[in-house]
Amino acid sequence: MNRLHRQPICVASALMVPMAILATPPWFGLDGVPPCWVVLWLLPWALVDGPVSGALAGLALGLVLDGLTLDGLTQVPGLLVLGWWWGRLGRRASPVQRSFNLGLLALLGTGVLGLTMMLQLLIRGGGVLEPSVQAWGFHTLLCQILVTGVLAPMLVSFQLLIWRRRVPQ
Amino acid sequence: MAPSLRPGTNRWQVFGRLAPWLLLMTGLLLVRFSKGAGFVDAYALLTRPFWPGSAQREWVATAADLEQRARLSLLEQDNQRLRELLDLQQRGETRRDVAAAVISRRPRDWWQQLELSRGGLDGIAKDDAVLGPGGLLGRVASVTPATSRVKLLTAPGHSIGVWLPRSRQHGLLVGTGATRPELRFIIRDPDVRPGDLVSTSPASTLLPPNLPVAVVQSVDLQAVPSSTAVVQLIAAPEAIDWVQVRTR
Repeated sequence: MNRLHRQPICVASALMVPMAILATPPWFGLDGVPPCWVVLWLLPWALVDGPVSGALAGLALGLVLDGLTLDGLTQVPGLLVLGWWWGRLGRRASPVQRSFNLGLLALLGTGVLGLTMMLQLLIRGGGVLEPSVQAWGFHTLLCQILVTGVLAPMLVSFQLLIWRRRVPQ
Repeated sequence: MAPSLRPGTNRWQVFGRLAPWLLLMTGLLLVRFSKGAGFVDAYALLTRPFWPGSAQREWVATAADLEQRARLSLLEQDNQRLRELLDLQQRGETRRDVAAAVISRRPRDWWQQLELSRGGLDGIAKDDAVLGPGGLLGRVASVTPATSRVKLLTAPGHSIGVWLPRSRQHGLLVGTGATRPELRFIIRDPDVRPGDLVSTSPASTLLPPNLPVAVVQSVDLQAVPSSTAVVQLIAAPEAIDWVQVRTR
């Protein structure tokens, strides 16, 4: 039984994501690019709680984060897909436990999320990505992937430890 | 007078014994008449590590800065008076600056934005200009009662009309996400070179007129469809803690 979403304290922990995004100091990150906090929260949640709950959590967080940012780019589709995919991974495969696997998953997830951003920039630019925008986009993407991948083994395995204890398989 | 033990050499011996002292006195006389040149130079050489450093220089710079600001405010008043004479300024318009702290900043993420500690209750509205020390930072994108969100000039797709005071030409400052936005010219062969100041247009109504914005860093005259330049913004959003919002 997946009961993580029935425990208010676990659901409330999602509030940490917008708070972390707002409070990240400029020096925390790679070249000023902060880590992708939402991936670091969504990955353990989806692994423990399954695809439907993961996709819903992705949708909810995406809506909150779109409210916290400027208009133009949305994170909803990327997070929806990631929540579903990670939920299926947690359900079907043998439990992901190795910290470095978690790092790889977070790295791939951040890459997918960043690529959806680049895709939106491409569509908004009418199918053409200007060289300066392209350079900035790939720089941001690469920095965010690296710094999220570095943080994921520590933070995600910690969250998995706590949540798996609260939800006996 | 008692006879000397070694007569004949006595007077020269006395002189020989006194010679170093005489030399010293001569040296001191030289020092006296040269107004202490050697001493001061030696003192300067020895105390060079302890000379007043950057702190003192900052004091001087602050004083110069203050003087320039005083002159600027005088000129601004003068300018205001002249504009009123020309009736460029609408009557009864109340513009004031609201100081706001930067409570959250994301200058290098997918979004280039700041969150400010003042909002609609303090009279801030959408599209107000946000100024930092050095010049224009961006415009207010959205407002809540207690906070407001600033879209920085570097945000991709953010474009404002600017003006080059030296050559009196218009351009479009377009954000590309990177820390240095792009300046696009409307005419084919603009008179622009690195080091030119970029400011808001003197006839601007959307933004406050005559605000410094950036400095031209490099020019690409071969770009299609029109010439472009890369500019360095004067106000750095990474470092600024307090900003002024110019309410309309």
